[in-house]
Amino acid sequence: MTAQVIDRELERLEGLWTDGLSDAYRDYMDAVSDFEQAAQPKLALAAGLVEVGIRLQSLGGRAAPPPLLLMGDLCLARASRLLADAAPQSVQVAFATAIESMSLAAAAGNAQPATRELLIRAFEAVR
Amino acid sequence: MIGQRLGFRSDRATQFIDITQRLRDEVHRSGLIDGRLHLQSLHTTVGLAVNENEPLLLLDFENLLERVAPAGNGYEHDDFGRRFEVAVDEPVNGHAHCRQLLLAAVATLLVEDGELVLGRWQSVFAVELDGPRHRQLALQLDGDFAHQQRKARSNGSDVLVELELTRQLLVDPEPVAAPMRRLVEAGGKRLRPKLVQLTAGIGPRHDPLRAAELAAAVELLHNATLIHDDYVDESTHRRGRPTVAAAEGPERAIAVGDYYFAKATRLIAQIGNRQVTSAIAEALEAICASQIDDVALRGAYPGDRDSYLRVVRGKTAALFAAACAAGALLSESRPEVVEALRRYGDLVGTAFQMADDMVDFSPSSGKPVGLDIRQRVLSLPLIYAAEDKRVGPEVRQLLAGSLQDGEVDRVAELVMSSEALSRVRVEAEALVDEAVRELESVELDGLRPTLIDLARSAVDRIA
Repeated sequence: MTAQVIDRELERLEGLWTDGLSDAYRDYMDAVSDFEQAAQPKLALAAGLVEVGIRLQSLGGRAAPPPLLLMGDLCLARASRLLADAAPQSVQVAFATAIESMSLAAAAGNAQPATRELLIRAFEAVR
Repeated sequence: MIGQRLGFRSDRATQFIDITQRLRDEVHRSGLIDGRLHLQSLHTTVGLAVNENEPLLLLDFENLLERVAPAGNGYEHDDFGRRFEVAVDEPVNGHAHCRQLLLAAVATLLVEDGELVLGRWQSVFAVELDGPRHRQLALQLDGDFAHQQRKARSNGSDVLVELELTRQLLVDPEPVAAPMRRLVEAGGKRLRPKLVQLTAGIGPRHDPLRAAELAAAVELLHNATLIHDDYVDESTHRRGRPTVAAAEGPERAIAVGDYYFAKATRLIAQIGNRQVTSAIAEALEAICASQIDDVALRGAYPGDRDSYLRVVRGKTAALFAAACAAGALLSESRPEVVEALRRYGDLVGTAFQMADDMVDFSPSSGKPVGLDIRQRVLSLPLIYAAEDKRVGPEVRQLLAGSLQDGEVDRVAELVMSSEALSRVRVEAEALVDEAVRELESVELDGLRPTLIDLARSAVDRIA
């Protein structure tokens, strides 16, 4: 994925790249090496967006103010579209299941599972 | 059963008038799929016949009738001196009555697959025996009509979607299921799932169960966005009940919205059609991007028409369009059908939002008038009122300040006294007309009337 493509995927979310998304992206790139090369950046970016989106929304913590909630929503939606483009069905399902478990824990007042662990495990759904 | 009259005018004394095409047209117009067309002459000197429309043969028939019952052959019926209550204009037509005796006065024709069942050489004739005159035939059509089949199919599909929604909420843990169940059970128009179901019946691969799964997932997704919207807009009530944010706090609202956002995308992914998954994912992204724009535009409230349309096409119309496209893709419709339906959904969704804006100014809507104004929600009537030469300056001045009850009431009053609402109505109706035109060029397996009705109903609320 070229820098131009990443730029396009960050439309309306520009500030996030330097606010943790680039680090998350690099870490997730290590987790997607089993996938087709062309799909790897999209998958890593999708995982990074989910992680940052959950953080922006303060899921499980004090409610994020509306602008941050909406940015978080856009992160999750864009990740969903990237996964629809590039991920096998099993990974799409595993990602959705991971978000379900995190949001259920938040709704039930339980401890939040570690996002990155869940998402890396979601990538393993294809194996 | 449909009953009506079929009128015609003869221009000769004896004349075989071919009414086959007119009967075919009536069958098509009625939507009769399988059944019967009953035809009855309402005259004693008009008969019915089914035979070949060959001009010389028709002359043979006329000659035959003339030979069997020649005109002026001393018929008792024509001896007016021996009859009671003879009308002044009573025709001398004993021969015509006798000829009619040789023909049928009633006929029943079969209809199969929406077409009259006729042999290759068969035509249906009304046989004038005492013309020229204006004549009438009684016509009845009975059997299975397309609209009944559509309604039965639609009712069945509606039940399937409701069952699927119930099933999905039953398997979810209570912390998330309970608030969503309250929202789902409070009603809603279910337009998006309806669009999925309808369009999923168009292509060659019609699978009602998969369509219901997709429709239910789309409805859950829509409701998930509403839960977050209500927190952002600080709304206290939706569909007459407290919002999740108001009843259970914003933290729960965010979590429940996220859960059903994820669950809906999972259910859609599990359907296993990549094009469907992409169509919905793209719509969801458009919705979220537009929500950000919507909130940003509140700083320049009430904004302008272009900004309004850009936000509405993302926030509302995108999911309408995706619902239409996804249903059509699920049933493996042709690409031109998918695209026509996508454009139809986009237009209907935009018109629907305009109608929804107008409801904010209707005292009979059941919602408090001016709620959008109070929450500074983008609204086309308000944009037009702010542009209005007469009321615009006061509207803009009021909107620039803090909006207490008095100011909100005054803005609503100004909007209602201006041309803004009628402008929006005209615009919404024009969008619906455009949506209907999108359906004209593609084959929709008999669903065009239902989709047209649905498009019209989207703006009927403002009639």
